[in-house]
Amino acid sequence: PGPFPGLCPGWSPRAVPARGRKARQDPIAKSKAVRVKLPPPVDPEELLVVRERYRQHRLVLSALRAEFRAEMLQRKREERLAAEGSVEQLEEHRRLMAWNNEENARQQARREERLRKEEEEQKRKKLEISEKQARKMEAFLEEKEKEVLQLQEEAKNFITPENLEARIEECLDNPRNYNFAIDKDGRIVKRTVLS
Amino acid sequence: MPMKGRFPVRRTLQYLSQGDVVFKSSVKVMTVNYNTAGELSEGARKFVFFNIPQIQYKNPWVQIMLFRNMTPSPFLRFYLDNGEQVLVDVEDKTNKEITEHVKKILGKSKETLEKEERERKKLSHPATFGPKKYHLRECMCEIEGQVPCPAFVPLPKEMRGKYKAALKNEA
Repeated sequence: PGPFPGLCPGWSPRAVPARGRKARQDPIAKSKAVRVKLPPPVDPEELLVVRERYRQHRLVLSALRAEFRAEMLQRKREERLAAEGSVEQLEEHRRLMAWNNEENARQQARREERLRKEEEEQKRKKLEISEKQARKMEAFLEEKEKEVLQLQEEAKNFITPENLEARIEECLDNPRNYNFAIDKDGRIVKRTVLS
Repeated sequence: MPMKGRFPVRRTLQYLSQGDVVFKSSVKVMTVNYNTAGELSEGARKFVFFNIPQIQYKNPWVQIMLFRNMTPSPFLRFYLDNGEQVLVDVEDKTNKEITEHVKKILGKSKETLEKEERERKKLSHPATFGPKKYHLRECMCEIEGQVPCPAFVPLPKEMRGKYKAALKNEA
């Protein structure tokens, strides 16, 4: 046992035993004061052989693991591709997208129809309103016309300073009798005598 | 404890699991543009209120975004993973029509869903027993036709170790 370059196990003779009940700073037991712990003796040839065998074993194992891992990934990828990227699926997708576009076009047509109808409706309403307005104006004007004419008619019978005298004479000459009698049935009698 | 919201049935698992729109794996984002007022957006509003929870429950990895009062007419837009965008005009449609339309163009068909279900079932064998996470039953005593658990029904004398040992000692 001694340090061989490349074969040293990484140990060195320890003067202090491993921790236990005592702290690092506590004194060592009297019976252990001269104890020197040495690593277990190693046969170099055996070590070489065992190391080589372990190396090969681990190499083979990791290679196998990598192989299996790659196989699993490949299988998963193939599965995914087969499920998602096959030709029929793409075809199906295109067909569905085309159908969707058609549906959108139909909806567009319906919308345009609806908008057109609404526009027509609005125009019609506007026309109606303007017509009504025009009619109202006409009616109003007619009313006013009628009033003006009526006034003109009445103007002929107005009493002006010129024919005041004549009218007074006329009234005095023709006395009008405003008296009348009415009974409970609502019959009016205008034959009362003027006194 | 009072229920939350106007239609608390939307929060029940039974309602959510009744949603039948399962998107294909290429659909990543769903965007809904709709208006909060107006007759034409009524179907879209009902869709957002009643059907989107079901869709999100069935597709937890699809991002759903809602935009209100940004456009004059309502529409849906789907963003697929190959960059394609699918536009669906939903003006003047009822929410049922919208779900049917979406299911037809981007949903997994019933056969696909059934196939996936069967694949999933193949992974686990229903006859095995073990931890509850992976199996249906934990102990053999739970399986029909097997010896019941001695915790509930004592074993007959002949099966018990102490009886057999006593017999051996006698003999």
